[in-house]
Amino acid sequence: MPKFLHTADWQMGRAFTRFETEDGAALVEARFEAIETLAQLANEHQCDAVLVAGDVFDAQTVSDRTIRRVFNATKGFTGPWVMLPGNHDAALAESVWTRAQRLGAVPENVHLSLEPGVVDLEPQRLSILCAPLTQRHTYGDLTEPFSGYELREGFLRIGLAHGSVQGLLPDEIDSTNPIAPDRTEASKLDYLALGDWHGTKQINERTWYSGTPEPERFRNNDAGNALIVNVSEPGATPIVTQIPTGRYQWHQWRETLAVQSDLEQLLERLDGLPDSAVVDLRLVGSVTLAGEETLLKALSVAEARFRSLRFERSGLQLAPTDEDIAALKADGYVGEVIESLRQPQEGAQDDAARDALAILAGLLREREQEASQ
Amino acid sequence: MKLQRMRIEQLRQFRKPFVLDNLQPGLNLIHGPNESGKSTLVRSIRAAFFERYRSTAVDDLRPWGDSAAAPTIELDFEHEHRNWHLTKSFLQRKRCDLSVGTDTYSEDDAEEKLAELLGYQYPKRGASKAEHWGIPGLLWVEQGTGQDIEQAIEHAGDHLKSALNSMVGEVASTSGDDLIETVRSQRDTLLTGTGKPRGDYQQLEKDRALYERDIEELKERVHKYQEQVDRLGKLAQDYEQAEAERPWEEAQRQLEEARTRYQQVERLEQQQAQEKATLAQLQQNHRLLQQNKEQLEGLSRQLEVRKSELERAERDLKVAEGQTPAIAGRLAEAKTAYEQAEKLRKLAALLQNRQRLEQDIRRLEQQKQVLTQNLAKAREYHQQVEQARQQARDNRIDSATVKSLRTTAKELNEETIRSRTIATRLSWQLDAGASLTLNNEPLTGLGEQQLLDESTLVIPGVGTLGITPGGEELASTRRKLKSLKDGFEEQLKTLGVASVKEAEDRLSAFENAGRAQKHAEDLLKSVAPAGIEQLVAEQGEAEGELEKARNQLQATPKPDPKEHVPSLEEAEAAFVHAGTALDKAESDDREHQATLSALKQARDSAKTEWQRLADEEKSPERQQQLRQITTDLANIEKQQTELETSLERREREIREARPDFLKQDIERYQNAANHLRQTQDNRGRELRDIKVRLEAWGAEGLEEQLNEKEAELDQCNRRYQELHRRAQALDLLLTLLTEKRQALTRRLQAPLQKHLNHYLSVLFPEASLEVDEQLRPGTFSRGNELGQITELSFGAREQMGLISRLAYADLLREAGRPTLVILDDTLVHSDSERLEDMKRILFDAASRHQILLFTCHPEKWQDLGVPPVDIQASKEQGA
Repeated sequence: MPKFLHTADWQMGRAFTRFETEDGAALVEARFEAIETLAQLANEHQCDAVLVAGDVFDAQTVSDRTIRRVFNATKGFTGPWVMLPGNHDAALAESVWTRAQRLGAVPENVHLSLEPGVVDLEPQRLSILCAPLTQRHTYGDLTEPFSGYELREGFLRIGLAHGSVQGLLPDEIDSTNPIAPDRTEASKLDYLALGDWHGTKQINERTWYSGTPEPERFRNNDAGNALIVNVSEPGATPIVTQIPTGRYQWHQWRETLAVQSDLEQLLERLDGLPDSAVVDLRLVGSVTLAGEETLLKALSVAEARFRSLRFERSGLQLAPTDEDIAALKADGYVGEVIESLRQPQEGAQDDAARDALAILAGLLREREQEASQ
Repeated sequence: MKLQRMRIEQLRQFRKPFVLDNLQPGLNLIHGPNESGKSTLVRSIRAAFFERYRSTAVDDLRPWGDSAAAPTIELDFEHEHRNWHLTKSFLQRKRCDLSVGTDTYSEDDAEEKLAELLGYQYPKRGASKAEHWGIPGLLWVEQGTGQDIEQAIEHAGDHLKSALNSMVGEVASTSGDDLIETVRSQRDTLLTGTGKPRGDYQQLEKDRALYERDIEELKERVHKYQEQVDRLGKLAQDYEQAEAERPWEEAQRQLEEARTRYQQVERLEQQQAQEKATLAQLQQNHRLLQQNKEQLEGLSRQLEVRKSELERAERDLKVAEGQTPAIAGRLAEAKTAYEQAEKLRKLAALLQNRQRLEQDIRRLEQQKQVLTQNLAKAREYHQQVEQARQQARDNRIDSATVKSLRTTAKELNEETIRSRTIATRLSWQLDAGASLTLNNEPLTGLGEQQLLDESTLVIPGVGTLGITPGGEELASTRRKLKSLKDGFEEQLKTLGVASVKEAEDRLSAFENAGRAQKHAEDLLKSVAPAGIEQLVAEQGEAEGELEKARNQLQATPKPDPKEHVPSLEEAEAAFVHAGTALDKAESDDREHQATLSALKQARDSAKTEWQRLADEEKSPERQQQLRQITTDLANIEKQQTELETSLERREREIREARPDFLKQDIERYQNAANHLRQTQDNRGRELRDIKVRLEAWGAEGLEEQLNEKEAELDQCNRRYQELHRRAQALDLLLTLLTEKRQALTRRLQAPLQKHLNHYLSVLFPEASLEVDEQLRPGTFSRGNELGQITELSFGAREQMGLISRLAYADLLREAGRPTLVILDDTLVHSDSERLEDMKRILFDAASRHQILLFTCHPEKWQDLGVPPVDIQASKEQGA
């Protein structure tokens, strides 16, 4: 009963822009932990092998330290690992892989599939048909030669490739590395382990994208999993189990605030998110002065609780109500200034006017508080 | 507000109560001389309002030396139809009471009420200063500060604005100015005055550029890295392929082949060269044999030539021999002519020698004669010299002594004449026969004598008469005459003469002898310059030479006079000519002899040559030789033809093998093989280089660095955007706030300007004074003049200050505020014309405001149209 763990798209060595330095570091760290989690899972599920379907590294020239740490992280599982070069870490004449070999960082149980061909895992009776990328981009189907590989009797035919299944993926990312949708049939594969798509996705009963084990983007659906694949014998339909491995959940919200209840609802939802959330919040619409005060307070709380919170409210109009303005107790020409700032402005001036109004309101509130003390 | 009455007590010089009442609602002129208490009154009013009743800083109010005093001020005034009564005491009795209508206030309440009414504030401690005075500071002008309007307006600032609020509605903001300052300071941390980023904002901008540059560099390096990786891939592939195919070996094989073929061609070429050399030899042989044959065949022809040569030689010889006698004859003739010419030449020379000797003899004879004559003359002249010398010796006399004698004689003569004129003259005419004896000398007849000495005249028969000449001088004359006479005698004796005349004669004879000697000596020198002895010697010499010449002539043979002898020159020329002719004849002869022998020689050799050839032509060896040569030639020609055919054939063979191309092929294959090997070597080297380079670059983790840098840039950018937005917002807010505030002041500006123009038109009909945004009188213009009010003269500034204050008063009145105007000795710097205008202005203002005008120059304000109040008088009245 051969059983193996299918994972891909580790993207090691990626740095996270748009985050506070500290948050970015934590997200990087989480990716190393993800590898350890995978090793642990493989052990737990008594897997015969771990197949990594490309993009182990995010770039060719990552630091030596990153290379060493990646291979160190695999130590938890002593069974065979088969790593396939993807488009980010293609097996070029000089690549992150040749460097890893030179550094002596690759443990014996880790097989690097740097050339097209078959990796036979003898005791496990697994034949891994590998289609590594040896150039950054290819326009032909690298899995094509799978059909021609003759295997030893009784071995499972497991394809390992990195690219886009033609015509099936909603967003044709990396369509330069095409893979025929009927590859399993055409090449009589028991299972085709794919990488490149960062969300977990089933193409057919024998073809899966495992997705990345730790999410690193907002836009991918269903990232942060590994697949345990169980094929009872050659030709049998594989049983695929999806196991969540991600530490942080990435949420990207685009919300429109119109009435008071919209704000309340948003805050409720934010409240519902776990601490491990990575949140990107973009608000449009309008908010009253009081509403803004509430919002800022809530965001300040959330910022401290979540792994990361980024919010963009340049599209959010500050629409003070008459009560808001009255509460500021601005008389004379200051009152006039507030009125003119409340008038809709053009383009960039609009942003500036909104900010100016917020600053003025803040100053007036401070003044009010000082006075009341 | 109208002040009606004031009362003060125990205040400076007003120890006793002093009351000033009956104050009018309009103008009040209060005057008094210096020290009368005018300034104290003004100070009292200010103290009543500005100073805290409990202030300890008002010692100046205390009467001098009265420590127990409690300076007290009472004021009665009316405002908005209510009566206000204020009593304020300081120092010893600190109190403040205020009643307004029926309401009463005391202490601090009372003071606050007053401050609110007039719009000023109290100091937190100490004496009240200008910055506390607010609106009264503007309307109550202290002595000498009328022109300082700006300061006063600034101090009045907030009070003015709130006071004027009612006019412009609710536009002023209670906290607006503070707010502006806060916004400004926040903006200024981000932006410079001109809106350029500063501080963190600016730093971020710089950092951003720095990050972008780093990223650009990293990207460039990543790109380079990738290029090198691609290059490595390509190279490795090429290298493997080349290693497998080994194309240089194929090139090497082709090279060997080409070399073999080229060697074959080279061998052919060697053979060709050998045969060519053989052919050339044959051709050479052929040429020599041909020459030999021609030579042999040419012998008979040569014999003919020789024969004719021999004949010509014989003919030539004969002609030359025929010329011999003529040449010998010409030689003999020339010899004879030469000898004749030589003889004539000798003769001519002899004759010429004789003529020269004869000439010498004639010359010497003449010379001898001259010398003889000169000698005779010389001897004569010598004798004359001796004679003259003798004569001089005989008559020698000193000319100076003669001159002295002459003088003495002249003096003596003159003295004698003088003595005669003074001497007693005795003249007599005696009868014939009668005689007298004078000094023993007898006198007779007629005569005269001068007597210098006492004389005795004896008249015979009569007696003796003594005559003594008179006169004093007579004695000295007589002495002098005596001395002169003695000198004269002495000199005559010295000279050895008897008289002056004799001396003169001797001197003349002496001088004549000197002159004759000189003349004779000159003549002698002319004939015998070297002396007579020399002359004698010369004469001897001439005689000797003459003798010698005569002997020579005697010895020279005399030519035959009949023979014609040419001149020596002619004879010489003829002789040279004859010599030349002889030389020519001799050389002609020699030449002829040489020609003859040469021609003989030529004839002999021609004959020998002809003989030899004639013998040879007939020899049998020659016939044999000729036959042999003909056979050899035929053989050689046959061999030549064979060789040429062979050469042509091989030539074609070589040409077809194209040795030049073969040579190029060798070079080409050689190069190709080298090149291919070199390329492969280079590939190997580059491969190693790139590997090393990539290993080094890879270790740097370029893309990871790039990722990190991009994250940092993003961070920086976000922060920058935040600050940017904040800066924009603050800038906008500040602009809006200041704009609105300015709009507010502009709304106050207009009415103030109106009131100001009202007064200004009286003072300067054509001028204008702009009120600026701080409500201060600013730019003043009059005709072409344009400038700030501070640039005007002191007097004008004071006038402007006053009308500005009045304009403010008008504005305040419109806002329903109290407007009491107090002027303390103001306008002292105005000329009478301006003062006149100012009086009209004050009079006009007094129709709206109560004005208290304190002065110590009441005469200047007589025409103000109000009764003046004399402090002095009031004081006395009170007392």
